[in-house]
Amino acid sequence: MRIYKRIVITLAIVTSLVEVVMGQAKKPTIMVVPSDAWCIKNGYVLEYDNQGTKIKVSDYKRAVQESTDLLLVISKINDLMAARGFPLKNLESSIKTLESEAAESAMMTSKAGSTISESPVDKLKKTAKADIWMQLTWTVNQTGPKKSITFNLQGLDAYTDKQIAGASGTGVPSFTAELPVLLEEAVLSHIDNFNSLLQAGFDDWFKNGREIVLRIKKWDSFDGDLEKEYGGAELGSQIEKWVSENTVQGRFNTSDATENMMLFEQVRIPMIDSNGKALDARGWGKGLQKHLKDTYQVESKLMMKGLGQVTIVIGEK
Amino acid sequence: MILLGVNASSCQSKKQVNKDTDNWRYEIEAVNTGIQGTYLIKVWSYSAKPEVAIEQAKKNAVHGIIFKGFAGKQGIPGQNPLATNSSIEKEKSSFFNEFFMDGGKYMKYVNLSNDGSVAAEDRLRIGREYKIGVLVSVNVTQLRKFLEDERIIKSLSSGF
Repeated sequence: MRIYKRIVITLAIVTSLVEVVMGQAKKPTIMVVPSDAWCIKNGYVLEYDNQGTKIKVSDYKRAVQESTDLLLVISKINDLMAARGFPLKNLESSIKTLESEAAESAMMTSKAGSTISESPVDKLKKTAKADIWMQLTWTVNQTGPKKSITFNLQGLDAYTDKQIAGASGTGVPSFTAELPVLLEEAVLSHIDNFNSLLQAGFDDWFKNGREIVLRIKKWDSFDGDLEKEYGGAELGSQIEKWVSENTVQGRFNTSDATENMMLFEQVRIPMIDSNGKALDARGWGKGLQKHLKDTYQVESKLMMKGLGQVTIVIGEK
Repeated sequence: MILLGVNASSCQSKKQVNKDTDNWRYEIEAVNTGIQGTYLIKVWSYSAKPEVAIEQAKKNAVHGIIFKGFAGKQGIPGQNPLATNSSIEKEKSSFFNEFFMDGGKYMKYVNLSNDGSVAAEDRLRIGREYKIGVLVSVNVTQLRKFLEDERIIKSLSSGF
């Protein structure tokens, strides 16, 4: 009886450990940012001339430094999301980290005098990152002495450009309430509906796979193209076959394909691989990279963008 | 004898309103944005005895927040139910039977506003019974946390 009890307890511990170690998918990072519309309306923009065309870019740094209302809303949302067990990346802190990291990298040298190597692509990638943007817009409506807030919170998947959650609406007009009070009320009114849609989005990921984007390109040094035959079929078709076999229920769209490039969208990859390890676009893309090398002796370079975008450039590393 | 009769009739009313709750016979109306972590709602319940309906409003409020959600009105958004799985009520029936029993744990997450006083326009006589509208504040944050801890609903970060 004692031995039986011990076996049961050991089995229970092992099972829970396996669940803890193997059952966790990669957690997406979320960050609240003001929308371009809000930044432009409130004058937080950087303007530059791009070959004769005036381009406006949101100036997040100035927005968080100067707009206390924005800080209040971001802080309130961060607060409420942390209470739901989903702490968010903070925009202001991310900007500061990026700046200090850039300064440190510029100053850093080894004992022998070497500097940190950085390609132009590395430089381009130095922006605030998140897997999901919580994009925030509000406008103050004034009718005579009455004020109300129209509030819009959008959850945008950074890699598929899809809106996966959202909540919007106009609050009750008030004669007396100050703007920060109306804003706080708007956040409290809308955050639960936003989160229930976000939860539905996550449930969909776990059921049907995380949606990612896969791009295939080729270096001009590559001897051949995606129409060259490998193993009795064009390389492009072989890639398509691998994608079909390695997606949840074979779900993907080949949105574009030429002899030089392919674009796969709505590619549904499992959240956890067959070994129980959390999977992201990079880990999944590595499988394709290995398949190309092992089966067709084709070298390739793999580049990633967050959890959800992967680019494989065929020909060399 | 009279006392026994009154008691039996009260039990009968209680049974009936519990049945009404199970059959979704109540209505929830958005009132205002509550303070952080709470919903301020008006719950309309039915009973032959107004005091039974007022008491049942608490149970209906929590029941509604978990399974039904409620529609919004001008300026106040409605809210989705906490449970996204539509069959959870049947799947976890033993949990919910205990949770919603008279004096059960649901009481911890709900408060009557205005000490349960009912405005004259919220006390309607319909045939042989009353329809009573009671203002109720539900502590949704705590309720959600409890249901997550009991693995009745999933937390936002579950699986990650």
